[in-house]
Amino acid sequence: MADYIVEMRHITKRFPGIVANKDVTIQIKKGEIYAILGENGAGKSTLMSMLFGMYEPDEGEIYIRGKKEIISSPRYATQLNIGMVHQHFKLVSNYTIAENIIMGIEPVKKALGIFPYVDIKGANEKIARLSRQYGLEVDPKKVISDINVSVQQRVEILKMLYREAEILIFDEPTALLTPQEIEFLLKIIKGLRDGGKTIILITHKLEEIKKVADRCAILRRGELIDVLDVQSTSTKEMASKMVGREVSFTLDKTPAKFRDVVLDVKNLTVTNEDKFQVVKNVSFSVHGGEIFAIAGVSGNGQVEIADAIAGLMKAHSGQILLNGKDITEYSIRKRTLEGIAYIPEDRQTYGLILDFTLEDNLALKNYFKEPFSRKGILNKKEFETYGEKLIQAYDVRSGQGNRTQVRSMSGGNQQKAIIAREIQQDTPLLIFVQPTRGLDIGAIENIHKQILAERDKGKAILLISLELDEIMNLADTIGVIYNGQIQKIADASTLTTKEVGQFMMGVKNENDKDGREVKD
Amino acid sequence: MQEKKKKGNLLVRFLGNEKYQFLTIPLFAILISLLVGAVVLLLLGKNPLDAYVNLLQGSGILPKAKYAGGKSMLTDFFSFMDCWTPMIFASLSVAVALKTGLFNIGVSGQMLAAGFITTITVGYSTLSAPIAKPLVILVAAVVGALVGGLIGFLKYRFNINEVVSSIMLNYIIEYVVGFFINTRYVNPISRQSQTVSSEARLTLSGTKIGDLKFDIPLGIILAVIVVIIVKYIFDRTVLGYELKAVGSNQKASRYAGIPVGKNMILAMMISGLLAGLAGASYYLGYYASIQPKVLSSTGFDAIAVAILGHSNPVGILGSSFLINIISKGSTYMSSSLGVDAEIASVITGLILLFAACDMYIRYRVDKAKENLDKKSERRESHE
Repeated sequence: MADYIVEMRHITKRFPGIVANKDVTIQIKKGEIYAILGENGAGKSTLMSMLFGMYEPDEGEIYIRGKKEIISSPRYATQLNIGMVHQHFKLVSNYTIAENIIMGIEPVKKALGIFPYVDIKGANEKIARLSRQYGLEVDPKKVISDINVSVQQRVEILKMLYREAEILIFDEPTALLTPQEIEFLLKIIKGLRDGGKTIILITHKLEEIKKVADRCAILRRGELIDVLDVQSTSTKEMASKMVGREVSFTLDKTPAKFRDVVLDVKNLTVTNEDKFQVVKNVSFSVHGGEIFAIAGVSGNGQVEIADAIAGLMKAHSGQILLNGKDITEYSIRKRTLEGIAYIPEDRQTYGLILDFTLEDNLALKNYFKEPFSRKGILNKKEFETYGEKLIQAYDVRSGQGNRTQVRSMSGGNQQKAIIAREIQQDTPLLIFVQPTRGLDIGAIENIHKQILAERDKGKAILLISLELDEIMNLADTIGVIYNGQIQKIADASTLTTKEVGQFMMGVKNENDKDGREVKD
Repeated sequence: MQEKKKKGNLLVRFLGNEKYQFLTIPLFAILISLLVGAVVLLLLGKNPLDAYVNLLQGSGILPKAKYAGGKSMLTDFFSFMDCWTPMIFASLSVAVALKTGLFNIGVSGQMLAAGFITTITVGYSTLSAPIAKPLVILVAAVVGALVGGLIGFLKYRFNINEVVSSIMLNYIIEYVVGFFINTRYVNPISRQSQTVSSEARLTLSGTKIGDLKFDIPLGIILAVIVVIIVKYIFDRTVLGYELKAVGSNQKASRYAGIPVGKNMILAMMISGLLAGLAGASYYLGYYASIQPKVLSSTGFDAIAVAILGHSNPVGILGSSFLINIISKGSTYMSSSLGVDAEIASVITGLILLFAACDMYIRYRVDKAKENLDKKSERRESHE
């Protein structure tokens, strides 16, 4: 028994309306990477939140290093050398890296023996030392708002290490990272394990588990389904256990039948607030019945292209034509009415009003139209029936149906709600940006099927994704963007993943004579 | 000890019931503040119970021991409503802005601007009552809406924070109005502006019914109607939907095609309009003149009233009623009990302070309830 550093026995946790965990028992050995796999809402995060003291279990016991503990707060969890990196980082954005890391346990020194002050210099040095030791390069003096997501994540990891955590919990650590950053992170995680730390990895990405984990517990609807040895189990088996049915990794994709051009972007240039050109002279067109995917590493201008088409950003120069009509100067509302549906990258900031109910959110693009309102007066009955209809049709799950505050819904169901709303607009053009970010296999499969179905209906689809697999699976045509410029546009069947990856890195550039050609 | 614990549990259960929390928690906040107020009164050597009874008596809710000629509990209650009316308008004004994510701290200034312009245009005219009274409401509403709209426009066009611009406007209005009153409209004896004509005044002052003399506030009827209208706007109209959307998430609103700037200006115009109505019922109703270089405290108290009422129009009707008991009843309390009127202000201040703790109280209650649930579950599992 002493072999196990963490034991959670017969854990049950209920929330109003649902049982998040039901009699779950897991045992984790010191120095292993233990993955917890499950779909959204399977209870992975809840289980680990209890280990980290954010909730207390309703039933069951937790043993740390063989000793029974009641972990009543994250502070106590920290004392037990447990650390957690949350899916959404908990950093103060106008503080420096070092200030964030030492927050709550500031090293205090005394000037002249009496006046206490925070020894930020010493902290900076200690953090620099730690970051070198674990290969997590950061500059402790940089401010959080100036660094990108993957560096912020390193800060979160350093925060745990600074607190001498032995048991490290990672909640969906790769959800926001690019493929390269994921590689790097997995290497770091392995390194930490080899350094004697125990790692708990919450994820729904099978490849990651296959790459790094030793063992893997599978949760489904709050219940522990199985604990598997990762090396001797196929990803397919893991997937079917997680979803509870056979999962097909390949989509039934029929050949595309192109119709007329729906979206025509001509020489589009977009500048950001700092007058910096983030999209440079980009031209492409999307036909009805075509999925045009833009591949690229995060931050290369792809989101700005989508924003410019939807009207959230102004085009600096160039033209955007929808069904032959110049919409470049149209307002956002007018473009929506003209026929653009937009699933934005950031579902919580842009896609939804979190304090609104589900039915109010589902009507976000219709409320001003009949029959949702007439002469400025809302028809709440219509909101209700429309919401009901979409919830049914798109299987949006929530605690209180129509009346649920969207804030309380899981990420996957929030995304389902947005997709339901946008597809239901029945517009000739649909823009999907990162439609499956942070979602689990079941949900991804579902969304991919919907995207294909819309294409087959003759809709023009602009898909922007950081997931290369997603692009390779879905796209009919691929445009690769690097540094705000389209590097290559080609029929998807003529490109390999490797080639696309090279264009994404800007290595292979047909327009650039000096570009280094990389031979396979 | 055991007994006490049980009672504590009962309280937690009572306050923990989510269905009624919107009501129980603010009331609990007020209860605490009254207890703290009682401590203050005890320190002054006064009986707090007497003091609180005095507050209710002064507001015409409980009968006084004796009344002067022409007065009764009913007349007191009418003058209570007279004072209550501007508070309702002012709190609605704050609430409309809050719902749209804006903080209108300039209600007092907007009240004064509306009150002053209305006074010199309609209040000093010789128009007859059926024309003058509606005109008072109209002019005050328009002036208030213009001042509010200006604040909204400054925010939309030049990104000037509405808190800053409305505080500055408060000063500008206060001194400009003060200057004109002192140079042109002052009554040398009262040192206030000349009183407005009774035709224009929204309160029918000293109306005799039998032996009693009533101050009948016509504005209260309008206030109740406006409460219903504001509630309807937020619950049932496209405008309300858009205002709430902008208030809770500007980015998502923009994404949905809602013109954010237009809605912010509109919200400030409505907020200003309501402040204008507050000004009319204050300067041409409860009072009939303007004291130069003074902003009324109503516009500031209204912030707390709106928060206490959760920015819900009906909630505001209740919370403004309670706050008004204290501010209105305090005059009688100080004379009858011999405590300074300032003490009443201290208690009002305390209530507002605890009202702002509303969320904290709710958090503690929910936490306590969670513990309680756990304990009882454990007990059950032992049995």
